[in-house]
Amino acid sequence: MERQWTEPEQMLLRMAAKYTDTELAPHDLAMAHTNRYPDGLVEKLIKTGFLTVMLPEAYGGAGFGPEVTAAMIERIAKGSASVAATLEGHYKSVDAVLRFGTDALKKALLPQAASRILAFGMTESTGGSNPMGIQTTAKRVAGGWLLNGNKVMITNGGLAQVYCVLAKTGDQELSVFVVDQDMPGFAFGKREDFIGLRGTPVGEIFLTDVRVDDDHLLGRVGQGGHIGDVAHADARILMGAVLSGIMQHALSLAAKYANERTAGGTPIGQLQTIQRKLADIKISQETTHLLWERAAFAKAQGQPYAELAAMAKAHGSRAAVAACDDALQVYGGYGYSNDYPLAHLMLDARALEIAEGTVEKMRTAIALAELKKEEA
Amino acid sequence: MKIVVCIKQVPGSNRVKFDPITHNLVREGLAGRMNPFDENAIEAAVRLREQVGGEVILLSMGPDATKETLHDGLAMGADAAYLLSARAFAGSDTLATGYILAQAIRQIGGVDLTLFGRQAVDADTGQVGPIVATELDLPQATFASKIQPLAAGRLAVERDLGAVTQTVQLTLPAVVTVRAEANRPRYESPIAIQQSLHKPLTTWTDQDLTLDASRIGQAGSPTVVRKVFAPTPPTRAAKPLPEDPKAAAKALLDILQAQGLL
Amino acid sequence: MISKEGLWIVAEFEGTRIAPVTLQLLTKARAIAGSRPVAAVLMETPEADGEETLAQYGPDEIIVLQAEGFKDASDRALAAQLTQLIQAHQPNAVLFGATPAGRSLAPRVQDQLATGLTADCLDFYYEENELVQVKPSYGDNVMCEIVCPDRRPQMASVRPNTFAAQKAQGAARIERVPVSLTPDDSCVVQHTALKIAATTSLSGARKIIALGRGANKDAVVAGARQLAEKLGASVGVSRPLTDRPDFTAEQQIGQSGVTVSPDLILNLGVSGAVQYQVGMSGSKLVISANRDPKAPIMAQSDYTWTGDAGALVAALQELL
Repeated sequence: MERQWTEPEQMLLRMAAKYTDTELAPHDLAMAHTNRYPDGLVEKLIKTGFLTVMLPEAYGGAGFGPEVTAAMIERIAKGSASVAATLEGHYKSVDAVLRFGTDALKKALLPQAASRILAFGMTESTGGSNPMGIQTTAKRVAGGWLLNGNKVMITNGGLAQVYCVLAKTGDQELSVFVVDQDMPGFAFGKREDFIGLRGTPVGEIFLTDVRVDDDHLLGRVGQGGHIGDVAHADARILMGAVLSGIMQHALSLAAKYANERTAGGTPIGQLQTIQRKLADIKISQETTHLLWERAAFAKAQGQPYAELAAMAKAHGSRAAVAACDDALQVYGGYGYSNDYPLAHLMLDARALEIAEGTVEKMRTAIALAELKKEEA
Repeated sequence: MKIVVCIKQVPGSNRVKFDPITHNLVREGLAGRMNPFDENAIEAAVRLREQVGGEVILLSMGPDATKETLHDGLAMGADAAYLLSARAFAGSDTLATGYILAQAIRQIGGVDLTLFGRQAVDADTGQVGPIVATELDLPQATFASKIQPLAAGRLAVERDLGAVTQTVQLTLPAVVTVRAEANRPRYESPIAIQQSLHKPLTTWTDQDLTLDASRIGQAGSPTVVRKVFAPTPPTRAAKPLPEDPKAAAKALLDILQAQGLL
Repeated sequence: MISKEGLWIVAEFEGTRIAPVTLQLLTKARAIAGSRPVAAVLMETPEADGEETLAQYGPDEIIVLQAEGFKDASDRALAAQLTQLIQAHQPNAVLFGATPAGRSLAPRVQDQLATGLTADCLDFYYEENELVQVKPSYGDNVMCEIVCPDRRPQMASVRPNTFAAQKAQGAARIERVPVSLTPDDSCVVQHTALKIAATTSLSGARKIIALGRGANKDAVVAGARQLAEKLGASVGVSRPLTDRPDFTAEQQIGQSGVTVSPDLILNLGVSGAVQYQVGMSGSKLVISANRDPKAPIMAQSDYTWTGDAGALVAALQELL
């Protein structure tokens, strides 16, 4: 059964579908070849208002809820997983500021989030899935903080203008601060040459004595680990949606091809070996869809959702790589060619076995949650 | 400038099939959508308003579900919408529809410009625009590919007529039908989508308009669709040419030669 | 004396010559008119001489209206003139070409006469005194038979290139009618320009090489273009190839594309969806090459060849 969307939600999904098919999907393969977005793509995305989707109306946004936002991400990912990932990076960061920002910060920053992209910098060369291993520091100064350090592999790094940054405020103490690219001491580093999601810029930033006011601290001092966890969970719902979108894309390509390609006079879609692959892709896509949908529903209801979000990503990422591999196999030699999209779809999916916490870490978190439920 | 844009909700897809037993039409995709050319008309209207000020009012005739299409138009930037919906309107062909729309435009009052898409993609007639213009005794510029406001209540309209393009100067009030080439319709922004449901949308029935009952619905429609069927292209001999490509090419050229086509 | 109950064709100019659709309509009208007189209505400037061309296609009457004002006359002025003429002589049916000009003028006349008008017909015939009009709907996926039982005249616009024009013997009677054209200041033509691409248009082509998904390779497209040049053919495509940067929707045959009726169409790698078939069904000689012998296009072809379109193109190039 499909969820019943409200009329504005239906309109949003229709618009996103049309936008994706017209403005994004035709460029997706070129993004994989050139490792960048085509000129003007991001500007148009912003002008059309995609940054405002889940931003509350009070801050000049459209105020759509987490479920339809994720559904929209899924639809966009069906045409371009790179663009979906860029929006995912923005939404999770806006969510973090909304939840943990001071009133002053929210009033100052969030109205800008309709036209400026936000990002979240956690990973460093010394630690990604191990936050205590980071070396970025925030030192207390009069009325604020002084930040120093280097963040790498930030989704939208170099494209975003505002960054939530995880920093150490003590030996075993993590806190999150908001920095702006226009602040003195802020600098961009290099862009990664990743094998998948090649439209999405992933880059590094350098902070050298960047001074922020007190109100640029998210939440409380020492709450950084928790804020990071929440942002991860928010991101993982959307990543589940990205993965299910990638699988829809792969399935649609494979099924179309299986209808057209003939062997011995019959379309290969009539062969059971091919049918089995198509069926497996569909099952993987639906299970991933159900997982992110359940996580988004729990979030919308104010129930715990971190574990469900982790499952959406842990299950969805491996399933999507396998699904794209199956689709690639249906495509035969063309599937293995960079002239066709299957190879890059598989590599797009592969990114999400690593980004926003590795699948190994997801499984640990899921297992720990289950263990805890049965503790005496 | 007070602009009315007449829009139509059309089936979501033109892919129709026939039930092999009942011979009834089976439409794929139940949801309706805005006639694509009407999006160009709305875009043209909103741009004119941005240039010279005024308001953009949408007008459509159809069942209650047409409101969804009107909301889409409001999310594209129109200010208000009217839906003409009544049992008495059912069965209206282009002539009756044009009359009803014209009466609604009279009732809205003070309209400077009425825009239409060049035609609707379901029935492809393109007749209602000129009929409304005639009902209101207004000049028209059909198939517009460019619309520029001029001083003193005039418009410069470029018409794409296939073999020629023609630029006309129209004195308002007037009717213009808009081609896809005129513009690229904007996307509904998420914020505009949320706002669209709060803009005024008024439903008028036959009771709200001044109408001659003999000119609306089936009574006011001279044409009758007496049969609907699937197109059957004629079958041909399908004589195979020789298998070998060279022999096939030779045979093909011989056929062309024989028929004087070389 | 203009006959009553006639079958009228409203003639259209394309530049200085009579539009092909007018001549196609005359031929078709003669074939279905029975005992009804076929008349061409010609609204032209005094220096024009459309009646000479029209006469070669066998109308019984040519109703000639001449005035300087017909140059750049507005739709409103033309419609008023035509309405008056129809009211005075009460034809049984009035047909227009479904061109932009015809589709702009016809509905204005329709409204003034409060009668029916069927747009974009692909066929029409008489049953007794009723003109049965066959028109496509839903992007050519459905055909409708439309009649106008109670009002006269019966009116329709007819899609260009649906019928072939054929010259015919017979002396047409020229009926000159006085003109009372009111100038229309509310719609003034300032500039008219002939579009450059108009002469190479697909719709008027006598020979067409059509490319479909099975010919979607740069080498095959290039080969087909060379072949087309040698044969004096135009190149058209089915829908999938409009995605290529070197083709546009203007070259698309069929649904929402162009209807063609050439003497020859050579389909290379076109599978032949219904909407494509409808768009080319008026072609005289149809030859199709496709890898799939069961592709729908094959049954709609006079000659077929099963195999790779590229191989046939190469073989033809060698011979030409």
